[in-house]
Amino acid sequence: MDWDLKEELRDCLVAAAPYGGPIALLRNPWRKEKAASVRPVLEIYSASGMPLASLLWKSGPVVSLGWSAEEELLCVQEDGVVLVYGLHGDFRRHFSMGNEVLQNRVLDARIFHTEFGSGVAILTGAHRFTLSANVGDLKLRRMPEVPGLQSAPSCWTTLCQDRVAHILLAVGPDLYLLDHAACSSVTPPGLAPGVSSFLQMAVSFTYRHLALFTDTGYIWMGTASLKEKLCEFNCNIRAPPKQMVWCSRPRSKERAVVVAWERRLMVVGDAPESIQFVLDEDSYLVPELDGVRIFSRSTHEFLHEVPVASEEIFKIASMAPGALLLEAQKEYEKESQKADEYLREIQELGQLTQAVQQCIEAAGHEHRPDMQKSLLRAASFGKCFLDRFPPDSFVRMCQDLRVLNAVRDYHIGIPLTYSQYKQLTIQVLLDRLVLRRLYPLAIQICEYLRLPEVQGVSRILAHWACYKVQQKDVSDEDVARAINQKLGDTPGVSYSDIAARAYGCGRTELAIKLLEYEPRSGEQVPLLLKMKRSKLALSKAIESGDTDLVFTVLLHLKNELNRGDFFMTLRNQPMALSLYRQRIEGRVAALQTAADAFYKAKNEFAAKATEDQMRLLRLQRRLEDELGGRFLDLSLHDTVTTLILGGHNKRAEQLARDFRIPDKRLWWLKLTALADLEDWEELEKFSKSKKSPIGYLPFVEICMKQHNKYEAKKYTSRVGPEQKVKALLLVGDVAQAADVAIEHRNEAELSLVLSHCTGATDGATADKIQRARAQAQKK
Amino acid sequence: MAFPHRPDAPELPDFSMLKRLARDQLIYLLEQQHEVDKLYKVESKPAVSSSEQLCFLVRPRIKNMRYIANLVNADKLAGRTRKYKVIFSPQKFYACEMVLEEEGIYGDVSCDEWAFSLLPLDVDLLSMELPEFFRDYFLEGDQRWINTVAQALHLLSTLYGPFPNCYGIGRCAKMSYELWRKLEDEEDGETKGRRPEIGHIFLLDRDMDFVTALCSQVVYEGLVDDTFRIKCGSVDFGPEVTSSDKSLKVLLNAEDKVFNEIRNEHFSNVFGFLSQKARNLQAQYDRRRGMDIKQMKNFVSQELKGLKQEHRLLSLHIGACESIMKKKTKQDFQELIKTEHALLEGFNIRESTSYIEEHIDRQVSPIESLRLMCLLSITENGLIPKDYRSLKTQYLQSYGPEHLLTFSNLRRAGLLTEQAPGDTLTAVESKVSKLVTDKAAGKITDAFSSLAKRSNFRAISKKLNLIPRVDGEYDLKVPRDMAYVFSGAYVPLSCRIIEQVLERRSWQGLDEVVRLLNCSELAFTDMTKEDKASSESLRLILVVFLGGCTFSEISALRFLGREKGYRFIFLTTAVTNSARLMEAMSEVKA
Repeated sequence: MDWDLKEELRDCLVAAAPYGGPIALLRNPWRKEKAASVRPVLEIYSASGMPLASLLWKSGPVVSLGWSAEEELLCVQEDGVVLVYGLHGDFRRHFSMGNEVLQNRVLDARIFHTEFGSGVAILTGAHRFTLSANVGDLKLRRMPEVPGLQSAPSCWTTLCQDRVAHILLAVGPDLYLLDHAACSSVTPPGLAPGVSSFLQMAVSFTYRHLALFTDTGYIWMGTASLKEKLCEFNCNIRAPPKQMVWCSRPRSKERAVVVAWERRLMVVGDAPESIQFVLDEDSYLVPELDGVRIFSRSTHEFLHEVPVASEEIFKIASMAPGALLLEAQKEYEKESQKADEYLREIQELGQLTQAVQQCIEAAGHEHRPDMQKSLLRAASFGKCFLDRFPPDSFVRMCQDLRVLNAVRDYHIGIPLTYSQYKQLTIQVLLDRLVLRRLYPLAIQICEYLRLPEVQGVSRILAHWACYKVQQKDVSDEDVARAINQKLGDTPGVSYSDIAARAYGCGRTELAIKLLEYEPRSGEQVPLLLKMKRSKLALSKAIESGDTDLVFTVLLHLKNELNRGDFFMTLRNQPMALSLYRQRIEGRVAALQTAADAFYKAKNEFAAKATEDQMRLLRLQRRLEDELGGRFLDLSLHDTVTTLILGGHNKRAEQLARDFRIPDKRLWWLKLTALADLEDWEELEKFSKSKKSPIGYLPFVEICMKQHNKYEAKKYTSRVGPEQKVKALLLVGDVAQAADVAIEHRNEAELSLVLSHCTGATDGATADKIQRARAQAQKK
Repeated sequence: MAFPHRPDAPELPDFSMLKRLARDQLIYLLEQQHEVDKLYKVESKPAVSSSEQLCFLVRPRIKNMRYIANLVNADKLAGRTRKYKVIFSPQKFYACEMVLEEEGIYGDVSCDEWAFSLLPLDVDLLSMELPEFFRDYFLEGDQRWINTVAQALHLLSTLYGPFPNCYGIGRCAKMSYELWRKLEDEEDGETKGRRPEIGHIFLLDRDMDFVTALCSQVVYEGLVDDTFRIKCGSVDFGPEVTSSDKSLKVLLNAEDKVFNEIRNEHFSNVFGFLSQKARNLQAQYDRRRGMDIKQMKNFVSQELKGLKQEHRLLSLHIGACESIMKKKTKQDFQELIKTEHALLEGFNIRESTSYIEEHIDRQVSPIESLRLMCLLSITENGLIPKDYRSLKTQYLQSYGPEHLLTFSNLRRAGLLTEQAPGDTLTAVESKVSKLVTDKAAGKITDAFSSLAKRSNFRAISKKLNLIPRVDGEYDLKVPRDMAYVFSGAYVPLSCRIIEQVLERRSWQGLDEVVRLLNCSELAFTDMTKEDKASSESLRLILVVFLGGCTFSEISALRFLGREKGYRFIFLTTAVTNSARLMEAMSEVKA
């Protein structure tokens, strides 16, 4: 161990995280004899004893320490407040275990792990239990009272069955099981008589087994459900053990419990004899998935059941195929013919495949690289003699071992076993490396295992960047540049996440700089809004060309700014303004306001038009009142037409004068309206009122549209010479049209007439035109 | 067809894939996911359906959100509880969700997206069916659909390989193109290494060429669109066409054999063609006389059905022609066309102006009047202030004062503008040019003309030779150039630009035109030097019209393709015509 402890472990509160996790020591706990003025020190070390953090404890007295599954340190204070610290001693958050705990103080506390996360169980001064199954999603549960409990239980533990946490406690000779609803008394089957109290109890790592240590030195081992007894042992030591933990391998038939006293370690199991070790120093046991870690001031050891594969191979005089294969390989290297003999032996039994598998498996359980190598070499040697041995198990083992050896390194200090590693998965291991800020190693592992970038390298780089922005002593410029250099355009890295982190640390400027690197505007804008850089967000949103984003910002801005500022902002962003108009503002209905605005804008034309419109509206209302009928919202032209159609000629003329309707329009208007009325008399009168500004062809046309040839003919004579042919053709007088055309000597008119000549009736006319044409050509 | 494709014309890519894709997605969304059994149109009236779940398939429009909100709130008042599902196509907008939230129904509805953007209307025509694109982008400056366009292009390039040569002009074209490139870069690797099926892509903003879109169409398909309005590739022929008392919905695409042969023809040829066809048909019918039993059996089983079908189509199209003729004679179509041509060629401006005035005075049609005014404005670089005022006044008197806003819209879009009070500008100009050399003076004039953002139609027309010089009559039966789609009077500007760029394979040599279009920054070419493109694919050209294209333009480009051995594929935000453009700009009370 690398640490340099000044005090004995027994003077400290100790907590070590499973899976080769870190160790926390709180020195100088509150003891009555110590002066209260000395502040205790909380220290965190890696499993190899490398110091990770050290801080002066400034809060209240701590009852218990523990690590959560996310490797956060939970410190349970006497007043029921739980403080959560990160791996590097950074304070994360705190929560309270409730009023009841606060009043009665904490007597004892345990941190335990369930499949939901990490839980906290507390025994209060009133001998009541309060627990929370997941500190991430805090739900306090007060357990029912134990009847007749006057003093603290001699020992207790949390059990986790069917996804529910229970508490098992021992009071004198009785055992009670507390669940949410009730407290029930239980008796372990096959318990030896004469037990007057339980001194220690231990639950296995997987909550499957339970061990009880009684005051008679008797150890009972059974299932955690207390339904079955597995074995028992009598060690004849009556002193209460300091620690008792299970030491068994998953899926193994062997069961064993390690019991530790001050200077003695005893492994007991389903055998009449126990194994005893002497402890030179004060030691601490950490239960693991497949064994027990034992550390003291100077050493850190791992005690575990020897795996089957290793046992088979290394057992003295073992004839297992794996052992033979290892031997064969050794002989082969010595260039001895014995290699062949051994191989033959295995092959005769047809166990070569099994031998290779054994070697591979055993290599996984070895901690020393040279042993791993020799076993793997043996496996690879054996593989040569096999036809179809799938290589992936071998390859994967090589990779896994390489990773494991790397993290077991003294400097890294995560002593994982192969089974723990498999249970933990590579993703979690990477997370833990990131948590320890071992970014380069994590990246190397990713690259070595060829993990997809998004899951691997990019994620780690992003974490690195998030860590980087928290370094307050480096200038914004440098941080932004460093991050961009390292990250570049790595896929899967979100600059906005990093920027969000920077903003979280109060470095707004840095966040904005980082956002510049973010290629997706959709990510930039929300954060900018959060940082109250709305104007920047608006221009970014507009740059992106994404209407949706612009709306998002606009709505945000509208709530944030007062009306004046809002419009001032919009003024500088025409696109935003046009969007806003389209979306939010209805069309301004008050015409007067509009007219005023038009004047202000010096748009005289529009202002006049608006005023005319108001005038017209007022007039139309009056007309509706006086004459009935519908006038509102008609155009000026239609209003006049309606008046004429209603026979209000005077009014119509008045209106035309008021609004200065041009003559041409008025004539067209009257002409159409009168023809629609079929008021031919009035029409004729009108046509003679003065010289028509639109000529008389329209009269002919309109009459013909009403199929009144008689009236139409009246006007043909008055049509100007250039349109005469057309007028005559309109009324169907082809012969006369031909005459006029010939008179005009107009080629275009001649062909027009010719095209109207149909069949026999106009035969003569057609001839006439042809003749005229010929004549014209002669000339 | 009157002019068949050259034998070496490349095959069109198969767009049925898109159709299948869209159909499957929709069926999945409607049936599997939401178990839809009946379809209604989204309207502001209450839904009569009694089902437990309502599913809305809508464009992400605020108006639509209000409809839905009204409906849901009405249900709430009535104490009904149903499930509501809103499917946004092609994408969901945050603003829509905000509306739902404002209306207090956000929790009651669940939202979904249907990223459908490309609808193959014909073998060579893809439409995004976004008629609102024109107004949203060119008037409101709303860029929301650019992303959709880019997505559509991305989809096309994943399906049909990358496009080795890209050209484009216009702000929207540039933005779409850049966004699309970005999309491609983000997901690179997918299209790389694929053989390109389509050799060229050309993106064009509608505001590059309003003139073509504003002209009356005289090609059959365009005329049908102008007269009856083709919607999503199908048209409703009313009783006057079907010569029965029912109206009939007819799909117009290459599968209609008769239509396929006349769609690109000038209208004056169509009648002749149809009557010829009718005679042929009769002859085929007549063949059955003098057949023996066996032949007759053959005839009935194999040919008769086809003939009957053809007969039916023929009578429909003849009916349509008659109806068009009737309507057009009523409207003095000849006069109208004459005026349009005069405007395009730039002579007798006074006469044309008074024609327009008369048009307004007679209240012929608000949309038509507006169209003529716009045409006048664009071809003349804006109306002179006097005319602008008087025409506007006339218009407001004829069609109502609310059109004041329409005029403001038109001015913003650059469709109907007033010439800047000429003297101030020219005065400065002449003063400045006195101080410098002749060469510089020319530059200054240019600078001034680009200062006032005007269309320089006349100069472009000269530069690109848009008004063909014809001696004698233009033979519409045997067209010589793309001008035939406008009776030989005018080559569509958009199509001419495309032709020129394709010929040069770049914008080189067109600097003057680009400058006149006020697009010096906005024309781009992007060629990838890849030999993978086969010569076949290099003759396939995808033309993207942002803001819509007309059938006349399609016909003109089809003609160009036949002449040069290209095949054009059209991708448009919507098929449009002059009336649709004007309506998009109009502010009329709903």
